Amino acid sequence: MKATALRHMLMRHAVMLVVCAAMLVPFYWVVKTALTGENIYEYPPHLLPKDPHLFNFVDVWYLIPFPRYLLNSVIVAVLAVLGNVVFNAMAGYALIMPFLGRRAIQLLLLACMLVPFQATIIPAYLITARLGLLNSYLGLALPLLSTIVCIFIFKASFEAIPRTLIDAARMDGLGDVRILLRVMLPLSKPAVATNVILSFIWSWNNFLWPLLITRDVQMQTLPLGLARFLSYIEDTTGALYAFVVMVLVPGLAVFLLAQKDFIRGLTAGASKG
Amino acid sequence: MRGWITSRFMLIALVLALLVGAWNLYVAAHAHGMVTGQVVDATGRPVAGAVVHMFGRDFVSEQERGHVLSDSNGGFRFDSNASHVVQLQAEKAGQKSPRMTIRLWFRAQDVDLMKPLVLR
Repeated sequence: MKATALRHMLMRHAVMLVVCAAMLVPFYWVVKTALTGENIYEYPPHLLPKDPHLFNFVDVWYLIPFPRYLLNSVIVAVLAVLGNVVFNAMAGYALIMPFLGRRAIQLLLLACMLVPFQATIIPAYLITARLGLLNSYLGLALPLLSTIVCIFIFKASFEAIPRTLIDAARMDGLGDVRILLRVMLPLSKPAVATNVILSFIWSWNNFLWPLLITRDVQMQTLPLGLARFLSYIEDTTGALYAFVVMVLVPGLAVFLLAQKDFIRGLTAGASKG
Repeated sequence: MRGWITSRFMLIALVLALLVGAWNLYVAAHAHGMVTGQVVDATGRPVAGAVVHMFGRDFVSEQERGHVLSDSNGGFRFDSNASHVVQLQAEKAGQKSPRMTIRLWFRAQDVDLMKPLVLR
C-alpha cells in the first residue's frame, strides 16, 4: 500500500515537473535571448546561452528613455493600487451592509463585468477628456482606480469576518470608516494583497488605454515603450528581449512578495466558519 | 508599526534603494569619459602617429565622434566619450585595424582597453 502511494506521488510530481518545465520554457528562452542576443529563430537552437552578458540591458536603458517610462509606469501603478485598495474596500464594506436595492446593485456590478473594456472605451475617453485628465497620470490610472472583481474579493473577505465583531466595534462608538480601517482591513490582509497584486499587474500591463490618452512621449508607460522599441529595432535581437525582461521583473517581484496572501485572498469566502 | 517596518516589502525596498545608491556613487566616480588603449602593428610593436577614430552609434546612424593620434608608445586617449557603446579603429599609411566594439556598463565609463588595436 505504501509502495503504491509512493509510486502515485512520484508520478504526480513527475507530471507536475513536466508541466512546469513546459510553462517555463518560453520565459527561459526570453531570458536566454536577452543575455546573449542570439537570433531567436536560430536553427539548430542552443539550449544553453553562449557567451552570456548583460550589455543588452545597458542598451535598453540608454537607447530609449527607459527610466522615464519606468517612472511613469510606477506612478500609474501606485495610483491604481491605492485607488483599488481604498475604493474597493469601501464598496466591499457597503455591499455587506443591509440596504434597499443591495441585491440589484450586486447584479448590476456583475452585469457590468460582462461588458469588455473595449466596448466602453469611447465614453471612458470622453469622460477623461471632460475631466481634463488626458495625458496625465491620474487619467492613465482612472479606469483602474476601482475594479469590480476586486470589489467582490473584498466583499467575500468581509463576509467571512464574524458580524459580532462589527457590532462590538459599533457599540464601542466606532463609525463605519474606523470600523473599516481598524477592524475589517487588518483582518482582510489576503484581500488587500490580492487587490494590490491584481491592480498592479493590470496597470503595469495596460497598453490600450495609455495608447489612447497619452499624447506626449514623456508620458508613455513601459508597454508603449516596448511597442516603440519594437518599431526601432529588429524583433529578434537581445535588446528587445532584455526590454521584455525589464518590464516583467517588477510585476513578478510584486507577485512573489505577496503570493501567499494573494492565494489566500482568492480563495477567501469559498468556505465560511 | 515595527512589524511593518521590518516586513519583507520594506526590507527589499530598502536593499534595492541601497544598491541603487551605491551603484550611482560608483558611476559618479568612474564616469569621466576616458578611453585609453594602444595601437600595435602585426608583430606587436607599438605604432606612433596612428590616427585612432572613435565611432558612436544609435538606432539609425553611426558617425565619427572624434579622433586622436597615438603617442610614441602607441598609446592613445580619448577624454570626452559620452556613450555606452563605441567602436575604435586605428589607421596609418594605408593600414587599418579592424573596428573594435567597446561596450560599457554606463555612459562615459572610464576604460583602459585590455586588447590593443592591431594594424594590418
